[in-house]
Amino acid sequence: MKKYEAIIILNPNLSSKVGEFTKKFEKTLSENSFSVKKCEDIGRRQLSYSINNHNKGHYLIFNIEGDPTKLIDVENKIKYDESIIRHLFMSVKEHSEGDSQLFLDSKNNKHEIEDDNETTSKSKDSQIKQDDEEESNKDSQKSEDNESSNEDQKKDPSIDNIDDKEKDDE
Amino acid sequence: MMSKYDLPKNFDYKDVNLLKQFITETGKIIPARVTGISASNQRKITRYIKIARYLALIPYTDMHK
Repeated sequence: MKKYEAIIILNPNLSSKVGEFTKKFEKTLSENSFSVKKCEDIGRRQLSYSINNHNKGHYLIFNIEGDPTKLIDVENKIKYDESIIRHLFMSVKEHSEGDSQLFLDSKNNKHEIEDDNETTSKSKDSQIKQDDEEESNKDSQKSEDNESSNEDQKKDPSIDNIDDKEKDDE
Repeated sequence: MMSKYDLPKNFDYKDVNLLKQFITETGKIIPARVTGISASNQRKITRYIKIARYLALIPYTDMHK
């Protein structure tokens, strides 16, 4: 018997079917002499780089215990499962007690995201309004520019006149 | 000399915020002569950073699309 930690990144489009997947996965584990000690559902998370054109992934962490020779069978089954975009089995001396830092972070983020959703919807509206205002400002600026250029043309001869006068003075 | 990093007794590849202190803006691992942490901790950090990279928790580089 050996202790392992399994990290699985699921296709984010299937994150609504996580319950089904975990049941299926736990079944394949138990068929291969593995027992699940703990399962952490971290949820959807931004990937640092895109994997198979996915920018987000649904992270799952399992603490499992079982026969090392049977682990190959489990991995062979997982390899051809298209709902998994990445997986890793790691042997550990002792399973970590308590929730992992990732799990705690995801909990905190969920609250923040909920707050953000409320604020972003409002800010988006305000942004659109701002954009409209900016556009209208630009238009008005353009017309102002035209006017000012006209004024410049009008002014120019007068300036020339002044210059002429100065020259005359000299 | 006091180290500017307070490392917890137990940490692993899941402590993403901790590991992010030990990579540069471009994603490279900061060498031990700069971090000033003990050799055994530096080896741990290096190992965990490499695992976290594979799991897309931290980037390999800043050149990812």
